[in-house]
Amino acid sequence: MLLSSSNQAPTGDLLVVENLEVAIPEEKRDVTIVNGISFTVPAGRTLGVVGESGSGKSLTSLTVMGQLPKNLKLASGSIRLNGEELTTLSTDRRRRLRGKEMAMIFQEPMTSLNPSYRVGAQIVEMVRNHQDVSRAEARKRAIEMLKLVGIPRAEEVVDDYPHQLSGGMRQRVMIALALANEPTLLIADEPTTALDVTIQAQILELMKRLQAELGMSIILITHDLGVVAETCDDVVVMYAGEIVERARVEELFAEPKHPYTRGLLESIPDIDTEVDVLPSIPGTVPTPQSMGTGCRFASRCPQAFDYCRENTPPEIRVNDTSAAKCWLYDPEVVAQHHPEHTAA
Amino acid sequence: MAKFILRRLFHAVIVVFVISLLIFFSIRLTGDPVAVMFAAGEPSQQAIDNLTAELGLDQPIWVQYGIFLRDLITFDLGTSFRTGQSVSSMVAATIGPTTLLAAAGMAVAILIAFPVGIVSAVKRGTVLDFGGRMFSLIGISFPNFWLGIMLILIFAVMLGWFPASGYGTPQHFVLPAITLGLILSGILSRLVRSSMLEVLNQQYIATAHSKGLRSWVVIFRHGLRNALIPTVTFMGVQFGGLLAGTVIIEQVFSWPGLGRMIIDAINARDYPVVQGGVIVLALITVAVNLLVDLSYSILNPRIKAGGSDS
Repeated sequence: MLLSSSNQAPTGDLLVVENLEVAIPEEKRDVTIVNGISFTVPAGRTLGVVGESGSGKSLTSLTVMGQLPKNLKLASGSIRLNGEELTTLSTDRRRRLRGKEMAMIFQEPMTSLNPSYRVGAQIVEMVRNHQDVSRAEARKRAIEMLKLVGIPRAEEVVDDYPHQLSGGMRQRVMIALALANEPTLLIADEPTTALDVTIQAQILELMKRLQAELGMSIILITHDLGVVAETCDDVVVMYAGEIVERARVEELFAEPKHPYTRGLLESIPDIDTEVDVLPSIPGTVPTPQSMGTGCRFASRCPQAFDYCRENTPPEIRVNDTSAAKCWLYDPEVVAQHHPEHTAA
Repeated sequence: MAKFILRRLFHAVIVVFVISLLIFFSIRLTGDPVAVMFAAGEPSQQAIDNLTAELGLDQPIWVQYGIFLRDLITFDLGTSFRTGQSVSSMVAATIGPTTLLAAAGMAVAILIAFPVGIVSAVKRGTVLDFGGRMFSLIGISFPNFWLGIMLILIFAVMLGWFPASGYGTPQHFVLPAITLGLILSGILSRLVRSSMLEVLNQQYIATAHSKGLRSWVVIFRHGLRNALIPTVTFMGVQFGGLLAGTVIIEQVFSWPGLGRMIIDAINARDYPVVQGGVIVLALITVAVNLLVDLSYSILNPRIKAGGSDS
């Protein structure tokens, strides 16, 4: 059910994204920056989207929300929420889904709340934008939500301005805001990156608890594999605007397939082994303009061979629950083109 | 809050003191008022000495300044050399027209600059934005007296829609207020545009969109509200410039205001009138800036007047 190749969405898939392509419109030729992204998020589960900055993970989430920056366009693809196609909805219908069916938490809790309004007013606005309730009822709901996310003295904090709260508290407020209308899908874009490690753990714990209580699905965007291991059910790894690997979370850590994923995992320090130099992946992510044919990771890949540099790999299914965009998993290509075999 | 206001009042006293020094000595560089008064005839030395003594100009200059300052503290602005009228009553008669003109000019500037600046920012990079920016540029580049003369030529002389000069009816306000306001709206719309652009890039705007709010709600409630903070500061500072502008505009439109009174007094070397007029203009500017500072704590919850920000 994780694999995009299954055209029919099995029941229980809340979100089905297929072949998403985001581009910068340019006069001669559009520059594609997110290319052929497909994934599904089952109801009540968490999908982790992992990648370096610039890999297109945030753009993917903004596309799902329907709030791509004006200078970008959705070139093609399909997004279905509960079976309803979103890409063809009118902007007004799409807008009404935001904050109600799907909500988003952003990376920077320090700047994602409006500094000019009390936090309660910002939650009240969210509630009243989608529910026909009085101001007093919405305020009650705001306090209730603040309590739910574990904010002490919620009755007082509701009248605080964002600058009166710490980063961790603000992120709790953001979560309270996002969940105020009990959305079925929560997109969390690096929700803990800007926070202290201890606060990070609390926030992740909170998200897990609320997911169990409210039953929503979560897309968790992060560059932190530790966060993925703790919270996600399934993972997609993004590189240079593409998904290069998808797997169940246990499998990804136990048996990473794509050389890029392996590189990412190797560059996490291990508490038990002493190393002088922490391994890193040499080079940087290619820019969309410089991407030619061939595997986009080939220039940085320790296992690349000539064939990789000239031919773009498709997503190759490795087993029932995992797939990788890597020629190493195509036995025919390996047999015919891999130096180990051709030399023999 | 009370402490903050007290401190600002203390600042105001210092500002007024410095202004009093500057205006007192600089006006004396323009020449001898007695010579202007006797410009028509050939007075005897006795007559000149008498008048000089009568006006108090025979005293050493520091003594003259001391007397001026002493009177100022008791809100006595002195009497006009020319007419013998008290300067206070002259100021009282002209301050109304000037304040009304400045307020009308500010209103015109706001009514033009906010829509232009907001549309420019929201439709960044489009023809509308280009038009808005051209408007700003023209507004900034135009000398206001020239614009005033052009408006008189077109709307008063050629079309006859509005009176060319004078004071009294609402129609009299139209041309001078537009002249003042258009010039200010050029620079103000530019500021509104850049503040809006900065604010619209903020993360909380993305949050507001993610709540499913209508675009105009996001732009006005979440965008403009925050863009107002730098804009209002600027308008406070600019109010001084606006008052300075009225000095010229009043001349062009024969507006019976403080500015024209000061210009006439400078020409006549009527020292007390110039000093009194300038001091009052300075007081108005200081008062407006104090009001702007107080409005901060309303607009921006992160700033509490008094500086007791946590």
